[in-house]
Amino acid sequence: MPEIKLIITGPPGAGKTTAIEAISETPPVRTDTRTTDDLSSVKDETTVAMDFGEITLESGEKVFLYGTPGQRRFEFMWKILVEGGLGLIILVDCSRPDPIDDLKMYLENFSDFIERTGVVVGITRTSEPDAPELTEFYECLESNDRVFPILDVDIREREDVALLINALVSTLEFSR
Amino acid sequence: MSQYKFSERSEAFCQDMFQQMLDTSDAIYGILISTVDGHDVSKHFLKEMPASKLSAMMSSILALGETIAVEAQQQRCRYVIVENSDGYILTLKIKDKLILSVIATTNANLGMLHSVSRNAAEKLAAHLR
Ligand SMILES: Nc1nc2c(ncn2[C@@H]2O[C@H](COP(=O)(O)OP(=O)(O)O)[C@@H](O)[C@H]2O)c(=O)[nH]1
Ligand SMILES: [Mg+2]
Repeated sequence: MPEIKLIITGPPGAGKTTAIEAISETPPVRTDTRTTDDLSSVKDETTVAMDFGEITLESGEKVFLYGTPGQRRFEFMWKILVEGGLGLIILVDCSRPDPIDDLKMYLENFSDFIERTGVVVGITRTSEPDAPELTEFYECLESNDRVFPILDVDIREREDVALLINALVSTLEFSR
Repeated sequence: MSQYKFSERSEAFCQDMFQQMLDTSDAIYGILISTVDGHDVSKHFLKEMPASKLSAMMSSILALGETIAVEAQQQRCRYVIVENSDGYILTLKIKDKLILSVIATTNANLGMLHSVSRNAAEKLAAHLR
């Protein structure tokens, strides 16, 4: 079985780095540095190159997980990281001002990659008072002519990250 | 958007220092100070180059250099050097929040660039303290 390369993206603070840390069987590779801009009110550190972790599926297949930086100024890293990737996890954070708009933006940012891969969407912090309903996220996908699984997750929990990965891997198998 | 910004005095200090670096080696044609999370702060370019994009890239490559050092069980990453057929790009940390990048032709030797960059980074770190 070939190795499976998956990418995790989404806005800064959504939990990409946390997800990889939660699930990787090997010590994750991190490239977080001090935040010096507005984000510092939310987070002390931000990913400037990539996160990397490894897991083994029950089937014995190896999954390599790559986390991207969230900010658009690191767009060049997105292009480097999706190379050879088989699937994309988009994290959407309901504590941010406009999570639906965030989803739209990452669908757009990764549109070329999405054309040739499977996608799952993980919605985080859904207990936030202003969090949109899951149906609103489905509607957003629909209006972009996309049908992807959407899961409500706590990205700090290993099992929830595993849920996202399994959902993604099964859509890949289905389309293979 | 709130962003790391030099005071007028620090900016003048930097421009002075940039000029000294250029005077020391005529191979240098670009000097850039950016934040560790990829924003440009100050620069002196003798040639048109995209400072914002370079700043983001320098923060990525320096972070990767530091991470690679750890994975290979080596200590403290001092510089990341990109050596090209027609030039060098040398990047190093200044204190904990800033990065200095020096872009030069191959007319300079690498040892020279090392020392010019290291001296500048130390001076700047001392100034900002
Ligand atoms: N309270 C709370 N914190 C969360 C939740 N999900 C993620 N976090 C935190 O949000 C932060 C996400 O940061 P990080 O993983 O660096 O985000 P990245 O920018 O996407 O890599 C971490 O400190 C997580 O512990 C949640 O459901 N509740
Ligand atoms: Mg991160």
